[in-house]
Amino acid sequence: MNPPASPPRDFWIAQGENLRIAVDALRANKLRSILTVIGNVVAVMSVIAVVAIIDGLNTYVSDKILQQGLGVLTIDKYGFITSEEEYREAEKRRDLGLDDMQALASRMQLAEQVVAQASRRRIVRAGSTELQGVDITGTTDGYEQVSKLEVEQGRHLDAPDVERRRPVCVIGSEVAEKLFPRTDPLGASLRAGGHELRVVGVFAQRGNVLGTSQDNIVYVPLGQFYKMFGSRADLTILVRGREGMDPTRVQDEARVVLRAQRHVPLGKPDDFGMTTAETFQSFWKQITGGIFAGTIALVAISLVVGGIVIMNIMLVAVTERTREIGIRKALGARRSDLTMQFLSEAIVLSLFGGFVGVLAGIAIAFLIRAATPLPAAIQPWSIGLSLAVACSVGLFFGVYPATRAARLDPIVALRQE
Amino acid sequence: MSVVNEPSGVSALSTDGMLIDIRDVRKIYIMGTNEVHALDGVDLQVRKGEYLAIMGPSGSGKSTLMNMIGCLDTPTSGSYKLRGTEIREREDDELARIRNQEIGFIFQTFNLLPRADALHNVELPLIYAGKPAKERRARAKEMLDLVGLGDRTHHRPNELSGGQRQRVAIARALVNNPSIVLADEPTGNLDTKTGHEIMALLDEIHRKGNTVILVTHEEEVAALAHRVVRLRDGLIETDQRRAPSAGPGA
Repeated sequence: MNPPASPPRDFWIAQGENLRIAVDALRANKLRSILTVIGNVVAVMSVIAVVAIIDGLNTYVSDKILQQGLGVLTIDKYGFITSEEEYREAEKRRDLGLDDMQALASRMQLAEQVVAQASRRRIVRAGSTELQGVDITGTTDGYEQVSKLEVEQGRHLDAPDVERRRPVCVIGSEVAEKLFPRTDPLGASLRAGGHELRVVGVFAQRGNVLGTSQDNIVYVPLGQFYKMFGSRADLTILVRGREGMDPTRVQDEARVVLRAQRHVPLGKPDDFGMTTAETFQSFWKQITGGIFAGTIALVAISLVVGGIVIMNIMLVAVTERTREIGIRKALGARRSDLTMQFLSEAIVLSLFGGFVGVLAGIAIAFLIRAATPLPAAIQPWSIGLSLAVACSVGLFFGVYPATRAARLDPIVALRQE
Repeated sequence: MSVVNEPSGVSALSTDGMLIDIRDVRKIYIMGTNEVHALDGVDLQVRKGEYLAIMGPSGSGKSTLMNMIGCLDTPTSGSYKLRGTEIREREDDELARIRNQEIGFIFQTFNLLPRADALHNVELPLIYAGKPAKERRARAKEMLDLVGLGDRTHHRPNELSGGQRQRVAIARALVNNPSIVLADEPTGNLDTKTGHEIMALLDEIHRKGNTVILVTHEEEVAALAHRVVRLRDGLIETDQRRAPSAGPGA
């Protein structure tokens, strides 16, 4: 007889056999396998799709909604409102006026540019063509430094336009296309708010945000806006800090200046709101964080249910193949060989579900991208992560059935019909 | 029926060079409140190259003895040495290794894996022996040629006749060069003619130097062996050596 120490068997030889058995079993029970791994499919699909959607939304939000860019402070009556109560409270505050803007512009040390704007949504006409719901913004000069707006033709509104309240405007690309489809918009005139305006520039296209065009806009000097819609408009003031300046310092200085200007008593809260792109971003992160947490809960439940189903079906497989286990044991399979065999099968089954889930997730992401304006981007790490998780589920829930198989008494197992 | 002498002239009491040395082996099962003495003090020595039949009515303990010889089971008490190594109190994995290297099983119901082809079935013991794929395939093919199934390597068991299935099982039993070929009612599921063919094959295997132990209740099958051990109530009743009959239906 050989020395009692058994020679180390080549691990990979046994693994090759195990993989073969696992794939055979999967193919022999196609429908059962598919039904078994639905939990995994749902879990992995959710991870892939949700990660893709959230990531797509993130890109979208930073690109589009935050058009004003980072480092720009927005001051208005409301600030960042998250409840109706806050809104009603803010409604009572005094409107921001041109004097507030001038105070900020003259007294702030850290501000590079201060701009005041007001806007209305109105009909715009040129000849017999009419365009509804156009965003008409009255602004002071320098707005191009606080908003991501570029002119494609002509020029921006400048300081003389604003000072002299000239009846001129710069229009969005959509307004240009629709009102002047065949003629050069530069120098043409259009009517808005009962006034005739001459087009001096056309903005570059900005595209859509959540299905709403960002190019349906008309910019006019603030004084002209007052002539059109009255001078009691509530202003929004945009402050751009000096290059490299800490945004919180800029914000603090603006607050001090504005509180003094508006005579807010010590100890009372601000009667205006300040938001930055960062405010929106952190709010956005809260929302997506919530969606993410919800997804993780769904995924966890799917995985546990899926894992239990896999465990169940593996127990069935062990019972069905008791005789096979007996045969293998008689031919020299050790406990570890059978443990590995059934573990491999559970993992292959689980990973199979994972792969189907990845495909389904990618399909959903593409569907969303095709059917909605949301850009859903597949993240390679989410594929890796969810396959790793699927693998772990197979491993975890496969241990018990595999151990049962390995512990079977070969004599009893061989007797099984 | 004549009893013949030990072939090598060594004293019958000597245990040197014994392949199987079973001394006062008992196997006791607890069934409910009863103790069942499946084996009740069995002594048996088998030399290399012997052709032995174990006979006995059902419940005589012959299956238990066969399982014990095949290292599927271990004695409750007594000693079983296989090639000088004590089998009692071996770890599970150690027994698996011994089965893999020392024992070639042939079953009444063939016990082939239904989803694997003939070649893969024959390969199985080599997989658990850790042999690389190329070597496994070559060796399995060789064995299938030996049992006359060289042209059936990729047939699954359900595409083979009963006799062919048993030939695959025999090829599998021999593939790892075991010390003992252990056949449990190898003709029990076969018709007479096929049974004779299988017995002829076993005879040939024995003549090539293999030790063959046959468990059967058919006198005709046992008649081919050189030694017949009869069990009754967990004890060896008779142990006869004799000249084998002319051959299986030849």
